[in-house]
Amino acid sequence: MSEMVGKLFGWVNSRLPIANTFERHLSKHPVPSKVNFWYLFGALASVVLIIQIVSGIWLIMPYSNTEEEAFSSIEYIMRDVDYGWVIRYMHTTGASMFFAVVYLHMFRGLLYGSYQKPKELVWIFGCAIYLAMMAEGFLGYVLPYGQMSYWGAQVIISLFGAIPYIGESLELWVRGDYYISGITVSRFFALHVVALPLVLIALVFLHLVALHEVGAGNPEGVDIEEYLDDDGVPLDSVPFFPYKVLNALVGIGVFMTVFAIIMFFFPEGGGYFIEMANFEEANPLVTPEHIAPVWYYSPYYAMLRAVPDKLGGLIVMGSAVAILFVVPWLDRSKVASIRYKGIYSKIALAFFGISFLTLGYLGTVGVTEVRKTMSVICTVIYFAFFLLMPFYTKYEKTKEVPKRL
Amino acid sequence: MSIKNNFKKGLNIRNLIIFSTFIFCTNNISAAEGGPCKDYGECDEFKYSLNDMASLQRGASTFLNYCYGCHSLQYSRWGRVATDLQIPEELFFENLVFDKSIKPGDLMTGSMSKEKSAQWFGVAPPDLTLVSRVRGDDWIYSYLRAYYEDSSKQYGVNNLVYPGTAMPNVLVALQGNQKLVCKDIPVIANNGGEKRDELGNTITKEKCGYLKVEESSGELTKDEFDELIYDLTNFLVYVGEPAKATRERMGWYVIFYFLIFTALSALLYREYHKDYH
Amino acid sequence: MQEKDNTRRKVLIGLTSAVGLSGIPFAATPFIAAWNPSAKAKAAGASVKLDVSKMQYGQQIQVAWRKQPVFVIRHTKESLQSLEVTLPKLADPDSNQIDEPYKGINPTRSKNAEYTVIAGVCTHLGCSPKYHPEVEPKPWDASWAGGFFCPCHGSMFDMVGRVYKGVPAPTNLPVPPHFFKGSILTIGEDGGTA
Repeated sequence: MSEMVGKLFGWVNSRLPIANTFERHLSKHPVPSKVNFWYLFGALASVVLIIQIVSGIWLIMPYSNTEEEAFSSIEYIMRDVDYGWVIRYMHTTGASMFFAVVYLHMFRGLLYGSYQKPKELVWIFGCAIYLAMMAEGFLGYVLPYGQMSYWGAQVIISLFGAIPYIGESLELWVRGDYYISGITVSRFFALHVVALPLVLIALVFLHLVALHEVGAGNPEGVDIEEYLDDDGVPLDSVPFFPYKVLNALVGIGVFMTVFAIIMFFFPEGGGYFIEMANFEEANPLVTPEHIAPVWYYSPYYAMLRAVPDKLGGLIVMGSAVAILFVVPWLDRSKVASIRYKGIYSKIALAFFGISFLTLGYLGTVGVTEVRKTMSVICTVIYFAFFLLMPFYTKYEKTKEVPKRL
Repeated sequence: MSIKNNFKKGLNIRNLIIFSTFIFCTNNISAAEGGPCKDYGECDEFKYSLNDMASLQRGASTFLNYCYGCHSLQYSRWGRVATDLQIPEELFFENLVFDKSIKPGDLMTGSMSKEKSAQWFGVAPPDLTLVSRVRGDDWIYSYLRAYYEDSSKQYGVNNLVYPGTAMPNVLVALQGNQKLVCKDIPVIANNGGEKRDELGNTITKEKCGYLKVEESSGELTKDEFDELIYDLTNFLVYVGEPAKATRERMGWYVIFYFLIFTALSALLYREYHKDYH
Repeated sequence: MQEKDNTRRKVLIGLTSAVGLSGIPFAATPFIAAWNPSAKAKAAGASVKLDVSKMQYGQQIQVAWRKQPVFVIRHTKESLQSLEVTLPKLADPDSNQIDEPYKGINPTRSKNAEYTVIAGVCTHLGCSPKYHPEVEPKPWDASWAGGFFCPCHGSMFDMVGRVYKGVPAPTNLPVPPHFFKGSILTIGEDGGTA
């Protein structure tokens, strides 16, 4: 019996590089032997991706993408479908957790210079994933066709209107109607469940292929490829299996506990994960008193509001994401990790982190004079962090990076 | 501790935690923007108890007797309510369901046509299935107790939580006539205590806008009425998310499972960690 | 030393895998359960009522229960007598091979001696058999005594839906739960012991 299985495997393997790929990218793939918890979020992101795909497929089944039934089909899922509420909350919690994990993952990148040569492409694919996720999240939020879905989409689609000349016709073209109607929901549904997931999966694949080509980083910024053993394996590395897998397993355990706490006890996240107004069906004639994006867009929303010009706001918002792509060329430091960078980098990163979080907060609350000023200041800091990077990273005094991990 | 050292230990995660707690502690969004309870001030806090079947049953009964005439619960099904609230189906249909053609699987779509009711009240009475999720339970609990006599309004009543509300006070016979009154309240001194004059008497100041029910004008006492509204609100919380009680029960098991899983995998990780350290 | 280490390792691997694997059925439950008929489907498939007193003798009507055809037949004396005639041709005259809900109450297989209530779906491959009450030679049976004939694959049933020998359909047409209250027939509910 086992001989037959062995033969069959041999037959397949000589035609499809299973064993080789498995060894190279999973079982024997060398990873740095000394990393910290910041290096777990990549694995966690793939866990959430799987949760989102599976729960998403199950949500497609009972969901109805028409203007008349979209909203009530959500309640149908929540009430009439057996365990429908589990699947829906899994998906809504997953959306927020996906962003939480990815934000931490990206911050890890900034912290330890995970974009530096030769990891530029890994970083760029990562930024593209983030961009695709933002689109995916937005499209998904429209599908329940509640008040927030409607007015959130109204605001975002109106942004297209800021584009000179073609703006207004572009808005109409995206909606396919004079308001966000059934056809808009239907389009967004197709993009949300087919087009963007395909893009996301392809980008994740590229992100991982590029990563495995250049090897994972470490918080010291040491190049482990410098010191190899007789078999050409880095001395400061351990095989992915079982060491990295076990490490990730602990992270997944902690993460899933947090996930479960939110999903079963705070699925609305105090109005940040599912907004209260979204429990009311879309009404194109009545704007809710308070419109706020879900928390993961709120920093950009705050930037948008900080600029007193429609097109300007759009440009600032767009550039805030676009600038991430060029970070590998903005950082001129000799060292990768913040541990060995100079004081300017540390201060800059701290200011950046604080301003981003502040923007995030400001994006969720109403506008006042003070808050608006704060938004402007934080937006300036956000951009200064990137635009001044070539200078402060080049001229600051860095510390000597050790040879080994 | 210098910034440098802090960074080595991951200052940023600490900042992050402080900041996110700060953001999450600012309560829900609408509460951050002036009170949702308007002239009432802070909404009264409501703590649901979805395992208190008696309360839910009383709430359902109040709803069906006083509210269902105008307000539907269009996503909820009759039989589900009976089952979830542990009311025997026969008893439920005999005593609480007035239309005898209704089957357990039917949706609670209301007994009034939208057009007719819009004619009567100016606006169609909204469906209330999700009201506890849109407005919040604190809001409902406060709103239903915040009616007061105001002859300038169409139905002779107004509401502190929802000024200009289109709904008459359906429960007035139970609650009695509630009026806005003025009260002498102690002036608070700078040190936080009550301000007193030289003779030691508390200095008071008249303040208006307090709700007071006219003595024995209603069938219920204030406490009884508050309890009635508590049960009603509790029922609306249930209807807003019928799976809520199950969800919270199930949650404990899931969390327990993942904690065990985490503990075991942490032990296993430590065991293997020895190989290279 | 090394030996002892391995035991601990093995125990931990065993425990962790056991806990991990035991979670799979629980994680799968919502996804499997979500495919059950929803409360909406159950409500739509609850029960149907009809007044059978208006039916003529010998008439067959088709009602939809759960969007599936159910045949209600009001028998004439002749058609009830035909049941005796067809008896030798039947594969399972006493409905022993299926779960017969009202066994031995009436020759009509229903709760009422005058009516038959059967699912109008052939037990072969799901076509709906046609009602042929006439006692006359038919292309498919020269000594036809009335009953149901399935146009898809030629299965034959008698007037109360019992299957003939030698046809592709394996079993009798099943009797759905039903009860009579006066002249009102309810299909889809048992009506208790009444």
